[in-house]
Amino acid sequence: MTPVELVAPATETEALEELARGPAGSRAIVAGGTDLLFDLQGARPGPTHLVSLRRLPWRTHAWEAGGLRVGATEPLRTLEADPRLGQELPALAQAIAAVGSPALRRQATLGGNLGRSAPASDLAPALLALDAEVELVGRAGARRMSVDRFLRSSRSTALLAGELVRSVRLPEARPRSAYLWQRVRPANDISQIGLAVAFAPSPGLWRVALGGVPPRPVLAPDAARELAGDRPAAREIASAAERLAAHPALVSDRRATEEHRRRLAAVLCTRAIRTAVGEPRDPP
Amino acid sequence: MSAARRPDADAKVRGAVEFGTDLSADGMWWGALVLAPVPHGTIRAVDLSAARAIPSVVAVGAADLPRLLGGAAGDPDRPAFPGQEVVYRSQPVAAVAAESLSLAREAARAVRVEVEERSAVADLEAVFPEWPGPEAARSPHVAAHVLARHGDVDRELGGAETVVAETYRTAGVHQVALEPHACLAEIRDGRWTVRTSTQSPFGVREDVASILGIAEGSVDVEGTWVGGGFGGKGASLLEPYALLLAKEAGRPVRLALTYREEFLLGRSTLPLVARLETGVRGGRIVARRVRLLLDVGTSLPGRDFATGYSIGFLLGPYRTETFEVEGFAVRTNKPPFGPHRAPIAPQAAFVAESHLSAVARAIGADPDEFRATHLWSEGGTTNLGQRVGPFGLAAALASARARAADWRKHKPPGHGVGVGLGFWSTNTGAGGEARLTLNERELVIEQGEREIGSGSVLVGLAAVASRRTGVPAERVRVDYRGTTEAPFDSGVYGSRTVGALGRAVDEAAVGLLAELGRRLGTPAPVTLTLQDGAIAVRFGQEVRPLPPLLTPEERSGAGLVGAGRHYGQAAEIDASRVVDGTFYPYQDFTGAAHVAEVDVDTLTGAVRVVRYAAFHDAGVVLDPAAARAQVEGGVAMGLGTALTEEALWSDDGRLLNAGLLDYRIPTLGEVPPVEVTFLEGYAGAGPFGAKGLGEPPIIPVPATVAAALADAVGVHPTELPLSPERVARIVKAARPSGGTDAAHPG
Ligand SMILES: Cc1cc2nc3c(=O)[nH]c(=O)nc-3n(C[C@H](O)[C@H](O)[C@H](O)COP(=O)(O)OP(=O)(O)OC[C@H]3O[C@@H](n4cnc5c(N)ncnc54)[C@H](O)[C@@H]3O)c2cc1C
Repeated sequence: MTPVELVAPATETEALEELARGPAGSRAIVAGGTDLLFDLQGARPGPTHLVSLRRLPWRTHAWEAGGLRVGATEPLRTLEADPRLGQELPALAQAIAAVGSPALRRQATLGGNLGRSAPASDLAPALLALDAEVELVGRAGARRMSVDRFLRSSRSTALLAGELVRSVRLPEARPRSAYLWQRVRPANDISQIGLAVAFAPSPGLWRVALGGVPPRPVLAPDAARELAGDRPAAREIASAAERLAAHPALVSDRRATEEHRRRLAAVLCTRAIRTAVGEPRDPP
Repeated sequence: MSAARRPDADAKVRGAVEFGTDLSADGMWWGALVLAPVPHGTIRAVDLSAARAIPSVVAVGAADLPRLLGGAAGDPDRPAFPGQEVVYRSQPVAAVAAESLSLAREAARAVRVEVEERSAVADLEAVFPEWPGPEAARSPHVAAHVLARHGDVDRELGGAETVVAETYRTAGVHQVALEPHACLAEIRDGRWTVRTSTQSPFGVREDVASILGIAEGSVDVEGTWVGGGFGGKGASLLEPYALLLAKEAGRPVRLALTYREEFLLGRSTLPLVARLETGVRGGRIVARRVRLLLDVGTSLPGRDFATGYSIGFLLGPYRTETFEVEGFAVRTNKPPFGPHRAPIAPQAAFVAESHLSAVARAIGADPDEFRATHLWSEGGTTNLGQRVGPFGLAAALASARARAADWRKHKPPGHGVGVGLGFWSTNTGAGGEARLTLNERELVIEQGEREIGSGSVLVGLAAVASRRTGVPAERVRVDYRGTTEAPFDSGVYGSRTVGALGRAVDEAAVGLLAELGRRLGTPAPVTLTLQDGAIAVRFGQEVRPLPPLLTPEERSGAGLVGAGRHYGQAAEIDASRVVDGTFYPYQDFTGAAHVAEVDVDTLTGAVRVVRYAAFHDAGVVLDPAAARAQVEGGVAMGLGTALTEEALWSDDGRLLNAGLLDYRIPTLGEVPPVEVTFLEGYAGAGPFGAKGLGEPPIIPVPATVAAALADAVGVHPTELPLSPERVARIVKAARPSGGTDAAHPG
């Protein structure tokens, strides 16, 4: 790793100007740095400048119009400490609690998690199931899109050069939601499977999203369609689990075989729905 | 004895101690290794010219050895760099040094390595698709063969009422010391000088001399503080390369492994396969056959110790009149085998204990009762005919069974409770020497080992000297010296520091007291004490100041000197039982019984250890706090071997998880509270009856967790580690209906 210069603009305009300087690839955006510093070790040639977002006024979150807006640089730990999160968006609260360790979460941000776009991101499935939207800002102005459109592939997003994630918006409270994960080692490991489910009250439909799958976490509408109403019947849950276990994104890698992933998908799907509706995790 | 505060705690907390990775010197250059790109092949070229063309870079390879070593050949079996053949991927084939680390890495990448690839075997079982017979002992793939037997196994098995035959497999594990290997080399006044993070400065001196083909007397090794060893730093690894680079560069060179390299070319413990057959008649074992294939990577023939030492652990501490054990150290295209805290014993204990339980269940017996009835007895003999010394294992088992019974009464559904045993021997055979100097202010132990973190050097040796002389531990200072000045010692391994080097310290202390007695002209026993803040001499009712008893030179700084040495004697085994190879007798008998309670998620296979108790015979415990810490740490480390740690090798010798992301050691979240109990009254061969405790705590852990798992799910595992996927698979195999049968309350 060659020496790099750290710049920390105080305003959005300055940050966007800084990003536009120098040749392509010379500026890397850093929020908490928990992913970036790791990735930089192998980068050759690496960036010449790190543009830190830590001084931008984005370290906030606010409950508004029935939903939640989270600034891109809000540390996960701060968000986690808000008691409303667990009541109104339990899937997101559970996903955040799954990230690394408390120390890591003091540093890590939501914007960084989306910016990295990791197949095993724990936050992405929850954001997908909660119909989250990202707000992007660039020199040409701001735009919004769903997290589903934003995430493209591993390390690839819809961000254009010079653009930043400014905030993430959760449109409404979804108290019937849950996120479950499975790892070889519970702490500080990468999820073999992440599974988020959420009941969207207004259309009265379920969302099911799967993480730990290449090339990015995905919605599983086939599984979700098996579920009707805010208290799905055991038979429906079983069908959803079965559908999900057949999802083509479930493949083998060094963290789990396809067989194990399919098994986990079915088990976690059942448990996540039961948890979301307040029933004991496993049927008696 | 009160638990003294660790004398190194303050400096370590402040970051004031110098570990290997902290080493630096004026004008120093940075080294980097060039690693073989294939696991096996014929070297066509190692072209250093592009690296050497970079300003401020030196590069060395096999072709440079005669020039740099003044024609010395070194050990042809283990040259610093291979000249013709690469035998494992990541084998160092050249080394470079440069002004900066990034330049050194760039230069290493510039070296062109051309190897004509040959077929490689990395999978132990691919070497011998059929289980090998004794004739395979002469195969080039076998580094060592051991065979021992007594009685007619086939006949006894033939006459048994029940025979249980099983095959077990365990994965390779890395030591994962926090500090990677690191050293700083310099040629000083024509002497090969290296400061290095090692468990054995004298061992490094010997290795360096042999690898480079130079005189041991021309090599100086100074140990740094060691950021964890766990067996991984017992032999030299980087020192020869760093010395060659220093010689070429004409300046100090620092060489350290990255953590990825630590995985790729560090010496780790490799997989094993074991087959066991046990025959029972009338509720007693009548015959056992144990066969072992141990992957030793590219260990050289004659350099394997693990097979002959560890195979005994596959029989467990259980006596059988009729038995046969046979082991093969199998060569594969991986780095040479390296010891990992109690090499192979945790894996072997897992095999032995799980098998014994399987045998018990096959005849409808309670596994723990079955254990107790077959246990070695003190005064009896081992299977190889060695007399069993004072041994508290039966008492430990009794305590563990009582605890397990209690936990079983209260366990919720889905939980299981299991007991596992492990035994070990303090390596008091490897010798050591120490020197004590006494003045009014302090008692100084001069010796040649660095503290590796366990406390055995700083706390253990001080406790011995303090207990013998009466000088309070905080007035005993353990002084470290490099190989040039220090009295010889074998190394901080084999749980031997207190047991063997401690004996040398004790002998020196006894000598000091005897000398004082002579000077006082008293036949009464002499001890030391504090009087008005000064160390004084006590005999009978009298206390006398020390200075008048000293000579003028002693008074003016030299102090009163006492020297001690301990070279243990090997115990005897019954040679008539050994057919082939080297078996090692135990020096001492130490062991433990552990109890675990686990919560098993039968649907996902996740295993959580919720509580843990360890009952140890460690002989006489000299420092309870340090001893307890050893057990807690050993259990934590053993949980990794049991549950998550697994080196993943591809069939062609590529380590797939060379990093801490996918090689998973336990975090504190996976380690439950550990209750530690010492069973005293079984004196060992160490000072005051101490036994070693560095390795024993890890040994029973995988066996114990596996027993608890078996209790929870009704089927016992035959592979390590017990990763969720493996557990889910065995649960599913045992309950073909699968899926929804397992009620699991949240
Ligand atoms: C030990 C460890 C454990 C971990 N465990 C987990 C886990 O369990 N689950 C999980 O999901 N993740 C985990 N992670 C990954 C990581 O911590 C999270 O993804 C975290 O949320 C990243 O946030 P950050 O602020 O540190 O991102 P950074 O490292 O600062 O940035 C990550 C990427 O996003 C870009 N970026 C950052 N902010 C923005 C922005 N506002 N706009 C545009 N691009 C941006 C950066 O340029 C970079 O490419 C772990 C990481 C470590 C080191």
